Amino acid sequence: MTTYSLPLSKRKRAVKTRPPRDALFIAAACALGLIVLVAVAAAVIPFAGDPARIVGPRLSPPSAAYPFGTDALGRSVLARLLEGTRTTLVLSTLAVVCTAVISVILGLVAGYAGGWAREVIMRLSDVLYSFPSIVLAILIAAVVGPGQAAVLSSIVLVTVPLMTRMVSAAAMSVAKRDFVTTAKISGVSAPVILFRHLLPNVSGTIAVQGTYALSVGILVEGGLSFLGYGVQPPRSSLGLLIQEGGSYMLQAPWLLFAPAAVLVVAILSINLIGDTMRDRLDPRETRSLV
Amino acid sequence: MMQILRWSAGRVMSALITLLGVSVLIFVAIRLMPGSYEDIILGPLASAEERQLLAEAYGLDQPIFVQYFAWIGQVLTGELGTSYVTQSSVSGEMLERIPVTATLTIMAMAVTLLAGVPLGIWTGVRSGAKQGGAVGRVVSSIGISVPEFVLGSIVIFVFSQFSLGLKVGGFASIGTGFWPTFQALLLPALVLSVFCVAATARTTRDAVMGVLVEPHITAAVARGETAGHIVRHHVLRNAGIPILTLLGTITAYLLGGAVIIETLFNLPGLGSFMVTGLGRRDFAVVQATVLFAAAVFVVLSLVLDLITSALDPRVAVTGKAGS
Repeated sequence: MTTYSLPLSKRKRAVKTRPPRDALFIAAACALGLIVLVAVAAAVIPFAGDPARIVGPRLSPPSAAYPFGTDALGRSVLARLLEGTRTTLVLSTLAVVCTAVISVILGLVAGYAGGWAREVIMRLSDVLYSFPSIVLAILIAAVVGPGQAAVLSSIVLVTVPLMTRMVSAAAMSVAKRDFVTTAKISGVSAPVILFRHLLPNVSGTIAVQGTYALSVGILVEGGLSFLGYGVQPPRSSLGLLIQEGGSYMLQAPWLLFAPAAVLVVAILSINLIGDTMRDRLDPRETRSLV
Repeated sequence: MMQILRWSAGRVMSALITLLGVSVLIFVAIRLMPGSYEDIILGPLASAEERQLLAEAYGLDQPIFVQYFAWIGQVLTGELGTSYVTQSSVSGEMLERIPVTATLTIMAMAVTLLAGVPLGIWTGVRSGAKQGGAVGRVVSSIGISVPEFVLGSIVIFVFSQFSLGLKVGGFASIGTGFWPTFQALLLPALVLSVFCVAATARTTRDAVMGVLVEPHITAAVARGETAGHIVRHHVLRNAGIPILTLLGTITAYLLGGAVIIETLFNLPGLGSFMVTGLGRRDFAVVQATVLFAAAVFVVLSLVLDLITSALDPRVAVTGKAGS
């Protein structure tokens, strides 16, 4: 990635600078990797104990025996936090995979076929896009009923419109290129063009949008569980833990701060990774005025 | 000119189609929800005759598309139905709640305009520089990464632990005078504005960066114009459209009801109405508030697109702003 700099000021600037974002990217990837690793490892080796078991007195502050304290029922906060992180990550990832599959098919068809197919797909995604994400999530939760299915379907329907639009825009510009025309003329069938010729060329867009969709997914899970329509107790998720923590925050602030910190670090890391991927995919000339 | 008119007509058409789609989706969703109208009103012990009478009274025995058009007819005359729970008019209750949501929106947007746009310009102008760019980037990334329910909970914690001059809650009603209303809405508005400021700063930064590398900026630099002059006269006018679009989108989403913040701070706005409606399985309320939120979005983005095409006629020709 080259950085053009035409400084207006008198200071001389190095033309080639290593972008400081790389350090950010590494930090973000490490943070996210650590969260995922610990949450997954806890499922394999239950080093934090059983999240459902009552292990000590209620609302006891963090100590050697209870590293993150205990909650209102005397369960270990660390164990519940690990379970909650896992639930949130698994639900969001699963939902984003569904979103990616749906959006790639719809987006490629819309971008390649154009005409009526494109019009119908774009209007449908406009309809979904018209709802504020949490409003759409609430509507879906009302239909599906509170629980993990509601979280999953909400995330998919909230993230599909934007991703479809981006994939379709990318596919449209690829579809104009000569190698696609050549393939079409030599009689390659439409599905082969879509998946062998277009898909590899829009995979960067899919990766970037998928990353952003993941952070939106975690947000939607959090919001929905926070309002009581997502993951239901006694299971835990980050949103649910934050909601529970909110009710006891004056007596036991660690109940709120532990899941809030994990949630924020996870979303922040994912967003930073997405930004870096976007910049790598689409390096831009930059210029500084000051 | 003809092209702009034709484009505008097309844009109005697609907004109408979107509204139609939105209303169908909500209508179908309401009918898919568990628990029929008869069950909710009459309870589980009602006889078949009673259920039949009720179905006839509310037109539930009609074919579904007849019911849909009857509902749309009512909505178009401003009649949003009756709450299943309180038996009061949903539109009447919404009219009482709109001022709360609208005030909250105005306050949050004021902060966004005053902080987000300047922050974005500053980071955009410095983006090629070694320092400054990364800091702005991290700050705005944190801003969009802290969910409102986390920030809201923390703000409530801090302000209820330490009395810092502002109190949490205590919202009486919009008619109690300017100062009490302002005080009660300030914290929720600030919490809402954190995301909006960060998102606006990011978009502004990207837009400014896009304009900065264009030839006319090189020319301005060559003429020896000052940085401030270049930003005011050459950058902002060209970077304005994406910023305007984002501000409009945020406003539309906020006007639809700040669901989480209103619930958290116990404010009687549209968002909390939606959530309490859902909690009581009051589908008339859910249907009306969701429809309102989506309709506000569709109408506002239509207006915004029309304004954009008036500001930059290239939009109507190529479908996007700028070069």
